Amino acid sequence: MSTGHTHDDHDHDHGHEHPAAPMVDEITDYEILEIAVRELAIEHGLFTAEDHRRFTEWAESVGPINGSRLVAKAWTDPAFKALVLEDGVKACKEGLGLDWAEPTGFGTPSDYTNFVVLENTPTLHHIIVCTLCSCYPRPILGMSPEWYRTTNYRRRLVRWPREVLAEFGLIVPPEVEIRVEDSNQKCRFMVLPVRPEGTENWTEEQLTAIVTRDCMIGVALPRPGRTADVHPIHKARRPVESSQRAAE
Amino acid sequence: MTANEIPKASGAAPRFKVGDRVRVRQMPNMFYTRTQSYVRGVIGTIAARTYKDLIPEEDAFNYDGKVEQYYIVRFRQKDLWEEYPFDNDTLQTESPEHWLEPA
Amino acid sequence: MSATPDVDYSRITLLETIRRQGKEWDTLAPRYGVTNPNPPWKTSLVGMCDCLATGGSLPALDRRKAEDELGNAVYSEVPAPERELLALVHTMLSRGLVTEGELAARMRTVRSRLEVV
Repeated sequence: MSTGHTHDDHDHDHGHEHPAAPMVDEITDYEILEIAVRELAIEHGLFTAEDHRRFTEWAESVGPINGSRLVAKAWTDPAFKALVLEDGVKACKEGLGLDWAEPTGFGTPSDYTNFVVLENTPTLHHIIVCTLCSCYPRPILGMSPEWYRTTNYRRRLVRWPREVLAEFGLIVPPEVEIRVEDSNQKCRFMVLPVRPEGTENWTEEQLTAIVTRDCMIGVALPRPGRTADVHPIHKARRPVESSQRAAE
Repeated sequence: MTANEIPKASGAAPRFKVGDRVRVRQMPNMFYTRTQSYVRGVIGTIAARTYKDLIPEEDAFNYDGKVEQYYIVRFRQKDLWEEYPFDNDTLQTESPEHWLEPA
Repeated sequence: MSATPDVDYSRITLLETIRRQGKEWDTLAPRYGVTNPNPPWKTSLVGMCDCLATGGSLPALDRRKAEDELGNAVYSEVPAPERELLALVHTMLSRGLVTEGELAARMRTVRSRLEVV
C-alpha cells in the first residue's frame, strides 16, 4: 500500500492545536461549498445551527494526546491500568477528565460510549480496523488518519494483516499472535502497547511523547526517540537521473 | 429513543458466556447488516460480553424492539481465510446474540 | 426494513466544475507556506456529518458506503478531505436533501459575502 506522505501521517505534536500559521490567501470553492450546503441543510431543517456548532467544537477539541496520556498513565500506575482494562470509559473520566458522553450526553452518533482498551503482550499484538465504515475512537484519538478510512486498508488488513503491517514498517515475528479487531458495532477500541525497553524511570510526560497515534491503532510500536508517525517511503539513495529529465 | 441511548431494561438473560464455542449463522442477505460476510458460517469463541442493545431495525425479520446481548467473538484466521499461513493469528469482531448459535 | 438507496454515479455538473479547478488544500497549502494539515472547514464538515447522522437524514453507514463507492469511482483523483466533501454533497443531492440549483445560487451569494473587503 503506497500511502505516500499525507498530512495525517505527520503527527509531530500529537494533536495539539497547530500554531497559528497563516491561512491560504484565497477562498476556494471547497470552502464556499461547505458553507453553502451547511446553510441550506439548516434552512431545510436537517439540523440546527446550534447542534452543528456543538459538534464542530467537539471535533476541534479531540486529538490523540489523550490516548497517549492514557497509555503513559497505565504504564506507570498498575491500579489505573487495571481500571483501563476493566472499564475504559470510567478510566477516561477519572484519569483524563475525558467524558465519552460528550457532546450530547449520550456520545456522538459514531463513537457511542463503549470504549475497550486492548492490551498487547510480548506474545499478542492487536491491530484495529473497521471494515464497514472506518469507525474509530475519536473521543480519545481525534479524527482518523486518511489511510485508516481507505477501502484499501479496510479490505486488506483483515486478510493480510502481516503484509499490511510490513508496509507500515512493522514486522511481527510469526510466533507472536496478531489479533485483528474489526470494530463493526458500537464498541470502540484502542491498543495499549507494551512499554518499550529503555524507558525505565521515565516520567509520564516522556512516555506520552513516544506513544503516537499509530501505536494506539496498532501499526507501529513505541520506542525511545520515536515521537512522530512517519511511514517508510524507501527513497532511493541514488535516484536515477536521466538526461531527458534534465532537459525538461 | 435515539441510537445512542442503550436501554436500561435488561431483556432476556444472555445465552452465551465467555469461552463458549459459537457459529455465526447464515442468514439471508436481504437486509442491511453489520455482520460481515467473511464470518458467516464460521465457528469462533466468545471472548467477551460487551453491552445490551436493541437489535438494529434493519437487521431482523421480526423487529420487536427487544434488547439483546452483544458479544466479541474470536476466530482463528486459519478458519476465516484459505491458505492463511500463520497458526497463531486471530480476528475478533462484535456480534449481537441473534446472529450466533451454539457450535 | 428499509433498503439503503443505491449510489448514483452520474457526475454532477456543479461538483465537476469545482473538482476541475484542482484547488485542494494539499496543493494550496504548500504554495502559501501554510503548515496546518487540514483546511479550516474540515472540522465543520465533521460536525455536519455528525448532525446529519443524529437527525437521521443521512446515517453514518449510508454516508460512508456512498463515500467509498463515489471515492473509488467518481472522485478517485481528489485527495481527502475534498473527496469526502464532494462525496457528501453528491449523496445529499442524490437523495434530494438539497438541489443543485439552490446550491449553485447559495455558493454565489456566499462568495460575494466573503469577498467583501
